[in-house]
Amino acid sequence: MRAPASNILLWLIALAALLALPWVVTSEYYVNIASQIVIAAILALSLNLLIGFGGMISLGHAVYLGVAAYLSIYLTAHAGFGHLAGALIAIGATTMLAMLFGYLALRASGLGFLMITLALGQILWGVAYRWASLTGGDNGLGGLKRPHPFGLNLMDPTIFYYFVLFFLGIALWCIARFIQSGLGQSLQGTRDQPRRMRALGYNVWLIQWLSFVCAGFWGAVAGLLYAYYHQFVSPQTLHLTTSAETLLMVIAGGTGTLLGPVVGAALVIILKNVVSAYITRWLILLGVIFVAIVLFMPEGLVPGIMRGVRALRRRLRGDKMTDAPSIAKERAP
Amino acid sequence: MTTPVLEVTGLYRYFGGLPAVRDVTMRVPAGERRLLLGPNGAGKTTFFNLIAGDFPPSQGAIRIFGQDVTRKSANERTHLGMARTYQIITLFPKNTLLHNVIISLVGLRDTRFNPWSDLRRQAALWDEARATLALVGLGHLADRTVAETSYGEQRRLEIAMALAQKPKLLLLDEPLAGLSADERQDVQRLLQSIPRDVTIVMIEHDMDVALAFADVITVMQHGQVVVEGSRADVVADPKTREVYLGH
Repeated sequence: MRAPASNILLWLIALAALLALPWVVTSEYYVNIASQIVIAAILALSLNLLIGFGGMISLGHAVYLGVAAYLSIYLTAHAGFGHLAGALIAIGATTMLAMLFGYLALRASGLGFLMITLALGQILWGVAYRWASLTGGDNGLGGLKRPHPFGLNLMDPTIFYYFVLFFLGIALWCIARFIQSGLGQSLQGTRDQPRRMRALGYNVWLIQWLSFVCAGFWGAVAGLLYAYYHQFVSPQTLHLTTSAETLLMVIAGGTGTLLGPVVGAALVIILKNVVSAYITRWLILLGVIFVAIVLFMPEGLVPGIMRGVRALRRRLRGDKMTDAPSIAKERAP
Repeated sequence: MTTPVLEVTGLYRYFGGLPAVRDVTMRVPAGERRLLLGPNGAGKTTFFNLIAGDFPPSQGAIRIFGQDVTRKSANERTHLGMARTYQIITLFPKNTLLHNVIISLVGLRDTRFNPWSDLRRQAALWDEARATLALVGLGHLADRTVAETSYGEQRRLEIAMALAQKPKLLLLDEPLAGLSADERQDVQRLLQSIPRDVTIVMIEHDMDVALAFADVITVMQHGQVVVEGSRADVVADPKTREVYLGH
């Protein structure tokens, strides 16, 4: 179960690129885009826990992003709480919401699970949209000032980027640890053979629920950082389109991998923010790219590229063995 | 009188209006090798699934080690000391054989809920998994993925996963199905090596192997028990011939 050397190398390259980014991309605009990518990556990683490792496709994951963002802005900018208390309550309450939603959604599996998550997400979107006295309705909720943890000036785009990157690092480390843990391995077992797992003594429902709560927690962390970044939240944050966009990030990058959602987040955010400046109908381009990924790398960009690299290496060595993605023994990072 | 390991009383299971299991009563004492025989569609696997807790019975009671488990879930029953194998192989094909046994071992440990314990660093767990694979003659294939092994090896892995949990009641659903003659002998030897403190209930169609293995045989047809007794009694009973030959 040791990670192959190529995976470690890929991680080191990714880490070096992320750390060096503000020095290479000197424009504040692009550093801000990078911060958005990092926040989206944390959300995508949390959704990947459900989809990639648990086989539970959710279309309501933006709820945790939105609720944590609403709560932190409301508590800090409108209810007189300090930043730390606001952040802790926002994350705690959102995680509790995930406990409730997990309890409801896991009464079904497959399409039923997907529909319940979608419905719960849309209910909260409706609440955010209609309960204008609390949420600001369509106008959203703003007024949050970025905190100054340990004297750091988070208004500086570069410092803010490193701040969110720190959380991405923690999220990656915790999730990497989770998937190798007893609970993580149990979750992957319930994805592949739920009936067998029950016969082996696993409480499949409880394992899925605990994982759902973990995913909700990391979604809340992303929501808090989202609130700090935008200093504003609107019903759009927890709308179906945000959930679908996050789902797209996970599928495009590669489900069941750690790096996949990060790459997927980068792809979608760059298309959405950078390419849209040049191409009005950027959604068509996003659609074309997604179809191309599904056609040529059905397992996602990261596993697909890794497969390509391995095939190239074999060709260079003169080995004629093919590399089928479905029975690949070596896992993508 | 000692408490039977498995006691089933008046068990029924309907699928819609169709009775798959009808009024089955069975008592399996400790250490017994019980064989379930019957043609396809006799309700043997449904009966197994009811004992294992895959679905609840429509009527009747199931007791394991004297404890009423009729309404208990499959995983709770496993924690009482029951393990099973499947007629259709149910493994984790992308994982190694070692990993499959690890998953089986972790199923009975508190580690299964721990989001922090790195399973790769639990040397004792890996040693135990390797020892279990060696027991069923798969030690040399431990690091291969299931997809890279033969059908016979996968059958043995099924048994290894069940044995890894050190059960006191083992349910084997056609462990010899689809195996070559050599593989059958291997699995047969493996089954005979299981100590007598493990009670075994087995479904099997290979009469020679099954009759050599069983202490008591239960013949089922149309969801009901039609004959039950020792090997000699069952073979001599005209109902057995009727079930298998139709006359």
